[in-house]
Amino acid sequence: MRSLQRRVVVGGLIWAVFATVIGAFAVVTVFDQMANRRFNTALAEQHTQVLIAFGNASDDMNMETWLTAPAYDRVYSGRYWQVSNDTGESFTSRSLFDVELPKDSVGFWEGEGPQGLIRGYSETVTSEDGTNWTITVAASLGQLAAERVEIQRNVSLAFGFVGALGVACAALLTTMLVAPLRKLRNDVVHRWDTGKELVPEDYPTEVVPLVADINDLIQRNRSIHDRGRRQAADLAHALKTPSAALRNELVALSRKHADTAPLFEALDRIDSQINRSLARMRAASAAEAVHLRADVHEAASRLERLFRKTPGAQDKTFNVKLETGYVSVDSHDLEEMLGNLLENAFKWCVETVSLTVERSDQTIDFIVEDDGPGIEKEMRAKVLEEGARLDTSVPGTGIGLSIVKDLTEAYGGSFELGTSDLGGLKCSLSLPIAVFAKKATKQRSA
Amino acid sequence: MRILVAEDDTMLGQQIKSALSSEGRAVDLVQDGAEAHYLGANEPYDLVVLDIGLPEKDGISVLKQWRKDKVNTPVLILTARDGWSERVDGLDAGADDYMTKPFHMPELSARVRAMLRRQAGQSDPIFQRGPIVFDSRTNKVLNNGMPVTLTAQEIAVLSYLFHNAGRMVSRTELSDHIYEYDGDRDSNTIAVFVNRLRKKLGKELIISARGQGYQIRSD
Repeated sequence: MRSLQRRVVVGGLIWAVFATVIGAFAVVTVFDQMANRRFNTALAEQHTQVLIAFGNASDDMNMETWLTAPAYDRVYSGRYWQVSNDTGESFTSRSLFDVELPKDSVGFWEGEGPQGLIRGYSETVTSEDGTNWTITVAASLGQLAAERVEIQRNVSLAFGFVGALGVACAALLTTMLVAPLRKLRNDVVHRWDTGKELVPEDYPTEVVPLVADINDLIQRNRSIHDRGRRQAADLAHALKTPSAALRNELVALSRKHADTAPLFEALDRIDSQINRSLARMRAASAAEAVHLRADVHEAASRLERLFRKTPGAQDKTFNVKLETGYVSVDSHDLEEMLGNLLENAFKWCVETVSLTVERSDQTIDFIVEDDGPGIEKEMRAKVLEEGARLDTSVPGTGIGLSIVKDLTEAYGGSFELGTSDLGGLKCSLSLPIAVFAKKATKQRSA
Repeated sequence: MRILVAEDDTMLGQQIKSALSSEGRAVDLVQDGAEAHYLGANEPYDLVVLDIGLPEKDGISVLKQWRKDKVNTPVLILTARDGWSERVDGLDAGADDYMTKPFHMPELSARVRAMLRRQAGQSDPIFQRGPIVFDSRTNKVLNNGMPVTLTAQEIAVLSYLFHNAGRMVSRTELSDHIYEYDGDRDSNTIAVFVNRLRKKLGKELIISARGQGYQIRSD
């Protein structure tokens, strides 16, 4: 269980159930004993009343005169008395009707009454004439049982409420405690993009050291990423400029009818290798980078603008269908991928190039199509794996598509070649939606 | 036509300069951003070839500063950096075209020609007035279908007048656009070039107004 909040809620629940059951049991037991004692006391008092009535009764045993409680008159009411002697004489309350209570019990006893269990109290007294009289009172235990059930219900309700309140308070407390961590997470996501530092004063004292560490990490990660990119760019500049110069010298030489074909071929291989290595450096730096975010609409619009202004692409039909959203890719690399795909499409198209951006659940898909010759199915893997040029008559190093593949894989996306409805090549690039942005997009659509 | 080339690599810079010069352009070559910015802002160039990775001040900053100061000279950016982002940044900063290194020099020349023509509002690389045909791709001139041999300066004057057809061009302006920065500028020699052109191509092509300059009529 990795969620702090869930831990607290489950822990609280277990504790609440345990505490409630033990507490309720203890309280019920105490109340039960009290009720029992009260019942016995009441029984003893009734016994005393019957004893007094027995003493006051005249010879005809007119005890009803002295015992006036209505319950003694109502048949099977649950309150009974009985006075009997060892000669077989027996007097009972009307409530006993046709039943007799046990005559040989002494003290408190329990037994079967006219309607369910009863508890009785018996004592033997000796009258002046020497006769032993057993004076018994009894009461139905049903009332005690009902009282007990009521106590249990009330105690359980009270303890249940206290337990639920405890769990709710624990959950609330955790929410309050976890809130700074949640804020930290959101802030970190934002700060990756904005480049600002987190402000330690915005957080509770206990979290401040963590904030400082995260600031440090963000800074370090950003500088590693930037340094990698800068070094790749500097290396590109350092290598490509002399390569361009060399190429021009070869052009001049070939004008003087020198055999420069092998030299051009070697230079092409060098250029191709440089491009491939630079792309790999970029892909490696991409794989190391954490929490990147690129605005899909902005990147695609920028490239649309570029190609609409680029001579050679200007006179072609360029159909663009864009979508908003963010992918977890460095924005330079997203432009690099789209730029390479579009450049390739414009290079090979007859008349039409189309760029379609679509959003699915987990990814944003970029589809670049043209109406050119396309690539044979069996040649597609070769183009992607080796960056091979299938047609050396068209200028280019032939690694555009393999750069796209390297970068896509570094970012955990996918890249496929197929046949377009336009007749030419269809390049489908899928990149993962940025986590934070996915939430933002959902909110916007809501 | 006068072109500023800003490229810090000496060898490549020289190659670009000689390629463009061989086509009759006056080319000034600089190797850092600060100098490029100064010259571009103060000299009347017809086009700038600007490397993005310049020392002192990078190409994008130079370009942004020019556009901010209303210097509207067409700019072709060269980028060795591997980034599509920089090409977009370049075009957004006000560049008119871009090329990525390594490139083929003939392609650079073709792009430069196309940009100059676009600036002149001419889509066809062949300029024609009456019997005179001027091919801006090869700098070949035909008079009634017969090839005419012209010197580099004569071609430079003719090309500038064709690219600015329909507008009176002063001698000073002509000399500003056919000589390099440190070239020996003598606006009197312009009159000599124009006279030679008239002799070779007929008097109707270039009309002149005393004290104002020269003009080739628009189509």
